[in-house]
Amino acid sequence: MDKNIYEPVKCRVIEVITESPTIKTVILKPEKEFSFLAGQFASLTVPGVGEAPFTPSSSPYEKETLEFTVMKAGRVTAEIHNLKPGDTVGVRGPYGKPYPLDFYKGKEILLVGGGVGLAPLRALFFALMHTVKDYKRIVFCCGAKTPDDYIYKGKILDEWHPLCDKLPLCFRITVDRKDEKWKYGEGVVTKTLDGLDVDIKNSVAVVCGPPIMMKFTTLKLLEIGYTDPQIYLSMERKMYCGVGQCRHCLIGDLFVCKDGPVFTYDKLKGKPNIWV
Amino acid sequence: MDTLYISNKDWESFIRGKIESRKIFAPFDFNGTLFYAKITAENADDIVYNRARPVEPLKLFLFPFKERVSPSVEGIGDIVVMGPAACDLKGLEILDRVFKDGDYKDPCYAERREKTLIISFDCASPYPVCFCELVGLHPYPEGNFDLNVSRIPEGFLVDIGSDKGRVFIGEDQKFFQITDELRKKRDEGRRKAGETIKELNRDFDFTNIENLKGACQTELWRIPKEVENCVQCGSCTNNCPTCVCFLLEDTGNRKEEMRKTKVWDSCLFPGYARMAAGASPRPTLYDRYANRLLCKYWYMVENFGMKGCTGCGRCIAGCAGKIDKRRVITEVLREKEKV
Ligand SMILES: Cc1cc2nc3c(=O)[nH]c(=O)nc-3n(C[C@H](O)[C@H](O)[C@H](O)COP(=O)(O)OP(=O)(O)OC[C@H]3O[C@@H](n4cnc5c(N)ncnc54)[C@H](O)[C@@H]3O)c2cc1C
Ligand code: SF4
Ligand code: SF4
Ligand code: FES
Repeated sequence: MDKNIYEPVKCRVIEVITESPTIKTVILKPEKEFSFLAGQFASLTVPGVGEAPFTPSSSPYEKETLEFTVMKAGRVTAEIHNLKPGDTVGVRGPYGKPYPLDFYKGKEILLVGGGVGLAPLRALFFALMHTVKDYKRIVFCCGAKTPDDYIYKGKILDEWHPLCDKLPLCFRITVDRKDEKWKYGEGVVTKTLDGLDVDIKNSVAVVCGPPIMMKFTTLKLLEIGYTDPQIYLSMERKMYCGVGQCRHCLIGDLFVCKDGPVFTYDKLKGKPNIWV
Repeated sequence: MDTLYISNKDWESFIRGKIESRKIFAPFDFNGTLFYAKITAENADDIVYNRARPVEPLKLFLFPFKERVSPSVEGIGDIVVMGPAACDLKGLEILDRVFKDGDYKDPCYAERREKTLIISFDCASPYPVCFCELVGLHPYPEGNFDLNVSRIPEGFLVDIGSDKGRVFIGEDQKFFQITDELRKKRDEGRRKAGETIKELNRDFDFTNIENLKGACQTELWRIPKEVENCVQCGSCTNNCPTCVCFLLEDTGNRKEEMRKTKVWDSCLFPGYARMAAGASPRPTLYDRYANRLLCKYWYMVENFGMKGCTGCGRCIAGCAGKIDKRRVITEVLREKEKV
């Protein structure tokens, strides 16, 4: 018999890290191996409460544990925030299509992330760094509302930023509103695209963030010379099944769960209400 | 396809002979409306043959309103469903594609489908809401059945559509090969039913129905006045033979139990597409009403290579807001031409 598509793999919660006032990262140990590729997502079940889709934020090369970075936004996410080490949750997936890393080879990869949108980009970043020599350069533009809202601060600012001296890597970091201690840029994340020194013809832009941020980032990327198929957008829709049956995640005829969740902009143009 | 003839009396006793060993459902008239009920020794003479489709969509037997999917239910039994019409059978193609023939299989659907024998009927007396002819179908089944039954004054013509159907008939000696004359008689009746449907729909124009592709501007759907009468009850989606949307509910009550139950959902409900913190890609009633029709005539065409509407008219007959979607479509297409 086929495996039941709705049966989650049980996972034990190992650690819960507070990233910001509204965002936590949960580290899970699955009972059975659970592998995914950067860009794919999984459905996380809190027993007796519900299920919601998240993109793992850990490295796809990490086989022992699995991490999700979750913003508290409602019923299920609130329960995820209440998890304690030792609790049991369920994961099913992975679903969706991964980023086309083979196609990205030799190119300058522009990552643009805002808020909790940095979570999926972190998994992609780990994957890119794993074979960093394959890419011409990685330019990571990160934004958040305030310095307190920055997730992965320890990682980005203390661990990754210093690598820029040794690797073809660069960060452009901003917050909407800074405080007295903040040493980096101020302004919305699209501002980091001003004066970008990237060979756009040989580049792809990968964007993940709230709809409004994705909209303005897309417009800005088009303005500075990126073409529709060079812009990779992570789309969010209500999801239940994750496998193209329940039809909740449709953007026009496209299934976010099955055809996405990442789409190039040319695929989305002309579909109903893309930006929500 | 093999077609056999059987007399009225012999068919009736043939069916009576089957109800001992099987659960057989068929259409019965309740106050003028056809609903499915189980055939029993008492009601077997009251089965309504060849009027038009029953109120309930065929999906009810294959994709129940509410069903536990993890761990999945067990003990699915054999049933026979008599009475689905051509529009229902066409809808089966979509159910099969979604739940059985894709990369991921529903935990229960394939088994239910396998254990359900379908005996469809011709439609001789279409309802005013029927419009199969507008979407390229006819009021008589041409496939997707195990047996199909056409009533003529002399008796019943039975098409054998599958091995399952052949086995059901077995070695019964009361079935005979049909004559050309009987076939002609049936063809004539079928043609007339088709004409009736065309006549019933002469005010509606679906000729450029593929132009609904891209017709997603909210404003366009405000033009047909009646759309505002939608009360978002979900009757249209519940009754539709091709509406497959469902949600998953976590019904486990212990800390570690992960039970999931599948429940029909409706894209007309405001909560259907609502995401975290209340954001929705279809915030207005017009967006949601449009979505259902765009799904039928645009998205499903791309997803399955066929329209998601088979013209059964259930979403018109059951609409609490008395919206006739044929009129809405005709008007939207006309308005779209203008811009
Ligand atoms: C591909 C993808 C990847 C994502 N990745 C991330 C990520 O990495 N990090 C992150 O923080 N977020 C991510 N999200 C967003 C995340 O999935 C949502 O924030 C989450 O679903 C919110 O769930 P909630 O229950 O907390 O929100 P709520 O607002 O409580 O619920 C959302 C909706 O669920 C429905 N609902 C509510 N209760 C029930 C019920 N009892 N039964 C059935 N339905 C109900 C309603 O329609 C409600 O509007 C991602 C989304 C997608 C699609
Ligand atoms: S959309 Fe309406 S008419 Fe078309 S198949 Fe569904 S219920 Fe029948
Ligand atoms: S049946 Fe009519 S009133 Fe009810 S949701 Fe459908 S369109 Fe709206
Ligand atoms: S989540 Fe069910 S179809 Fe995409």
